[in-house]
Amino acid sequence: MNPSPRVVKQAIHWMLRVRENGASPQLQAQCEQWRSASHEHELAWQRVHSLQQEMNLRAVPGAGVVALQTLENSQQRLHRRQAMKLLGGVVMLGSAAWVSKDIGLLDPWTSDFATATGERRSIRLPDGSLLDLNTHTAADLAFDSRQRLVRLKHGELMLTCAEHPLGPAGRPLLVQSRDALLEGFDGRFVVRQERDCTRVTVSQGKVAIHHPGPAGLQWVAAGEAFLVNAQGATPVAQQNMDPGAWADGLIVTRNMRLGDFIDEVARYRHGYLSCSDDIANLRLSGVFRLEDTDKLLHLLPQTLPVHVSYRTRWWVRLERQA
Amino acid sequence: MSSHDSVHRLYQQHHSWLNTWLRCRLGNAADAADLAQDTFVRLLQRREQLELNAPRAFLRTIARGLVIDHWRREELQRAYLEALAQLPEAEVPSAETRELLLELLERIACLLDGLRPKVRTAFLLAQCEGLSHKQIAEQMGISLRSVERYVADALYHCYLLRYEP
Repeated sequence: MNPSPRVVKQAIHWMLRVRENGASPQLQAQCEQWRSASHEHELAWQRVHSLQQEMNLRAVPGAGVVALQTLENSQQRLHRRQAMKLLGGVVMLGSAAWVSKDIGLLDPWTSDFATATGERRSIRLPDGSLLDLNTHTAADLAFDSRQRLVRLKHGELMLTCAEHPLGPAGRPLLVQSRDALLEGFDGRFVVRQERDCTRVTVSQGKVAIHHPGPAGLQWVAAGEAFLVNAQGATPVAQQNMDPGAWADGLIVTRNMRLGDFIDEVARYRHGYLSCSDDIANLRLSGVFRLEDTDKLLHLLPQTLPVHVSYRTRWWVRLERQA
Repeated sequence: MSSHDSVHRLYQQHHSWLNTWLRCRLGNAADAADLAQDTFVRLLQRREQLELNAPRAFLRTIARGLVIDHWRREELQRAYLEALAQLPEAEVPSAETRELLLELLERIACLLDGLRPKVRTAFLLAQCEGLSHKQIAEQMGISLRSVERYVADALYHCYLLRYEP
């Protein structure tokens, strides 16, 4: 018979304590005592011990750092591949975070999530949908028997709907922003709360905008973007930027104004970042990594006639190269 | 009808569809053919009743697991080679040790599948580098209590996968 979860956890606890303070004879004795108290204890101990041995990387000479790097890097890429190719986004990758099976800790299904400036986070929702939060974002969940609701308080989120459009119980999947209620069906969409409106961009599937005003219902198809404010929903041209690339830790631009690009990068940084007017209309295209925005800024002079000037670490301005 | 017969029928009816499905994911006909084959081998090994109401969804579920295993192996190999490339030549292990380590890494990666990144990292710092919980807490900028919880959670997660799948 399998040891009970409680006993397994106790065995793990003992093993870790002994590993951390191995030399203490008193602790050793207490551990022995716990093991000999019942067969169940001893079995759990043996299993945890052999599991530990099986996973012992230090037994392979020279494994340490290489093993850590290999496991971490391959994991990131594996999830990116899964997200992109296999499951149509049901599995996530945020370069910062990866949350999945232990979502069971969130109970009941009402939770608050927030990210700090520069942070990104992925949350697997109880229905299997995936919620990505971009920098400086707050959202909460209200999942019950009638609906699956995500409230966006500020910032930007990406929602990748689970395969069953209405969920197992036929509940609608909703995002509430300050300006509108959005209903996702299949696919993936990005909702960004801007100062005076909400921007909705659909990359796969379709979204319905339920507007409180006279505008009523508006459908948004894949490849389209809408701005929603108190007056209604207006279609807009797609930005010169991939709207969901941040979830992969990237900014991807196509002929984007430098001024707009700098505003975008500033969202991921503390402090002050700006560019002088005489270079704001320069254009740039490329793929930039968000994990280190200082490095990102230092790449710009390679392709544009600009100079990055630091007054302090938090006060950065781009100027025309002399 | 025996379970072998129903696998056989599934094979006849859906093999070429599954092959195409896999080729789209893998972008490679040889790997696709291998994994399609493996999918049906998996089915033959299953003892429980086959779910035949939605045969394609069922096949897809099994094939997906195999595709992920396949990719995991590929990504591990790639990341391992990259990590090795950074080592001074004298420290590069022998071919035999490399094989051994890759196999071990694959086993560990499977067991860690699905852990949150912080939990995973804390666990790996203890497991790979042999850091103490206190050192891990300092390196990750989290509390000692969190580290203890993460490492224990990770072990429990692995335990369940290993002994009570």
